[in-house]
Amino acid sequence: MTTTSLETTAPTTGSLSSKRRGRPGGLSLRRAVVVFVAPFGVLYALFYVIPIAFAIYQSLLTVKREGTFGAAQQVFGGLSQYILVFQDGAFWGSVGRVLVFGIVQVPVMLFLALLFALLLDSPLLRGKKFFRLAFFAPYAVPGVIAAIMWGFLYSPSLSPFSALTSSVNFLSADLVLWSIANIVTWVYVGYNMLIIYSSLLAIPQEIYEAAKLDGANNWQIAVGIKIPLVTPAIILTAVFSIIGTLQLLAEPQTLRSFSSAISSTYTPNLAVYTTASIPNYSLAAAFSVVLALATFILSFVFLKLTQRRAFA
Amino acid sequence: MKTQSKMVAAAVAVVTAFALSACTGSSGGDSSTASSSCAPSSGKVDLTFTTWVPGMDKVVDLWNQKNPDIQVKFQTGPSGNAGTYQNFFNQIKAGNAPDLGQVEYDALPNFRVQDGLTNIAACTPVSGAQDKFVDWTWKQVTFDEKDAVYAVPQDTGPIAMFYRKDLFDAAGIPVPTTWDEYAKDAALIKAQGSYITNFPKTDVNWFAGMVWQNGGQWFKNDGNDWTVDLTGDKSTQVADYWQKLIDNGEVSKLASFSDEWNKSFNDGQQWTWISAVWGASTLETGAPDTLGKWAVAPMPQWKSGGDQAGDWGGSSTAVLKGSKHPYEAAKFAMWLNSDPEALALENKLGGLYPAAKAGADLDAFTSGQEFYGGQKIYDVFKEASSQVNPDFTWGPTMTQTYTDVSDGFGSALGGSGTLTDALKTGQQKTIDALKAQSIPVK
Repeated sequence: MTTTSLETTAPTTGSLSSKRRGRPGGLSLRRAVVVFVAPFGVLYALFYVIPIAFAIYQSLLTVKREGTFGAAQQVFGGLSQYILVFQDGAFWGSVGRVLVFGIVQVPVMLFLALLFALLLDSPLLRGKKFFRLAFFAPYAVPGVIAAIMWGFLYSPSLSPFSALTSSVNFLSADLVLWSIANIVTWVYVGYNMLIIYSSLLAIPQEIYEAAKLDGANNWQIAVGIKIPLVTPAIILTAVFSIIGTLQLLAEPQTLRSFSSAISSTYTPNLAVYTTASIPNYSLAAAFSVVLALATFILSFVFLKLTQRRAFA
Repeated sequence: MKTQSKMVAAAVAVVTAFALSACTGSSGGDSSTASSSCAPSSGKVDLTFTTWVPGMDKVVDLWNQKNPDIQVKFQTGPSGNAGTYQNFFNQIKAGNAPDLGQVEYDALPNFRVQDGLTNIAACTPVSGAQDKFVDWTWKQVTFDEKDAVYAVPQDTGPIAMFYRKDLFDAAGIPVPTTWDEYAKDAALIKAQGSYITNFPKTDVNWFAGMVWQNGGQWFKNDGNDWTVDLTGDKSTQVADYWQKLIDNGEVSKLASFSDEWNKSFNDGQQWTWISAVWGASTLETGAPDTLGKWAVAPMPQWKSGGDQAGDWGGSSTAVLKGSKHPYEAAKFAMWLNSDPEALALENKLGGLYPAAKAGADLDAFTSGQEFYGGQKIYDVFKEASSQVNPDFTWGPTMTQTYTDVSDGFGSALGGSGTLTDALKTGQQKTIDALKAQSIPVK
């Protein structure tokens, strides 16, 4: 699961230089701005803009050839790959699967993250430093390693808990999606907890003092003050999680060597990967573009729906 | 302003580079079959070779010692379908593929269709090579085209049956010689609390080997059009057979070659493994506790007294598209796959069973094997090798066919659908994939 930053706000060069317009240092200042922005701009173009542009270009191509082993030529095929994308039942099945996954897993994970953050912030808890590190530690484990580790824990005969795993098969077709959800939750709860916790730390102490003077207890402070004030942070983690869910790849891909129940099109990204290895680059590119658009729309709609309440 | 214009120049350069690479990528298919000339290069030549066979680096070292003028750089990666083929396809598209690559027979048509292979028929090291290799392998690397050689056969995977002699003897269960007997034994072994074997969902090429033995044929190519037939009588018979074993719970459903799978063999949960010759070393490393308890018998037959075998796996060394030194590459590929010293080393370190006819007479293949109770197991495989139907054709999008059939097998193991359904879906998806690649299909 990867998290991509939503928006990258580069310093607006226009307003800076316009303030200094007409002064002798203007030109050199503008040059300085260019120099400072350039490293970002070049990398952004190289690793973000150009690959996306190339994927869109690739998705518009189709293969033409003559005869059995005739040389293949890539020709402009318009939106023909996109028609195939929308006809592909397996791909949409995988999108449906990760949506079900997200609807269940994201709220559970964020609830736990919020709970842990509130506990860390509560005056009742001792050993805060230890718990903060303990909750966050799984995030330091790379996703693939985590999946391998859990794969062994789930495995019917290799697991240290084989008494349980041999009677409940966590890797069966019915359960494996939730076994993956458990891995993802385990890895990312601490990460999301930390975001919410740092937002809790930013709340001015005076507010708590005022609440206490008014007779509020810890529970009332948590529900009535803390949660509303960290809602923007929760929404941020929710957006990251939605994006991450749609991009699930490492965990299901790794668990494929433990379970027969994970198909080659289990998640949208796995379907893209499989299509690219046929190799059918154009269709894989079209899948990617559609997936990126769907991710963008979903995140945007979620933000629209929530921000009125959160940031009003 | 100087910096700015430099910046713009750099940006333009970057964009053009991408656009250019895109162009070379899409127009890579011009000189597909031209093989008129294959001249040696002058001076010292450096080649690159990518393979996943263990120990191949030592074989390359041997070549490099003997051939100071043709130095080969060894590169390794995951096994073909696990990633190396995808790397090759990407590298071919980008125009920087290694000179030589390991390609299994079932993947060769895919590379041929993607125009990823160099025709080395005109290279003198290859002339007369046909007689040196087992007949059916030569068809795999030439596609029966005239004046065409796209790779040099390396090894083969004739199938036989590994079985736990000690367990069969102790339980008084007869060792099966037909598939009927095999199914009867499966029930007896289940009663003992074990499995007769594991059904490998992901090894669709293994299933193809079973169909191959039964005289089935998944693909045909009449020179113009491809015919796809995953659902013929022979394939359906094999599918129905294994479906019954799955329904009866007489085979396990482990992910093959996983740790869980190894453990199951090591613990005596598996009584047989219908597998290729290279499986001998897989068992040895995967199930060390069963030393001396295994034996090898010919594959069970569909007809009593039959003598048909299938094949699972086997590779070739292909000269990939874009190699600047096809002559030297062909020379190395020929040495790698026919020189007795190289073959012996490859068998010792990588467990390869050579496609070269002379290979079967190597010392390693004529002696008794400790792990198999001293049995001369390679005699069985040599026999099997001669019983493999030489006319089996692989399709041009095997990676896709394998994936789609494997997905269907996975559902069947999970209880929804059957193996036959999986073949039907695979059939349709393969035809779709061929059409998407604009490959003519009937």
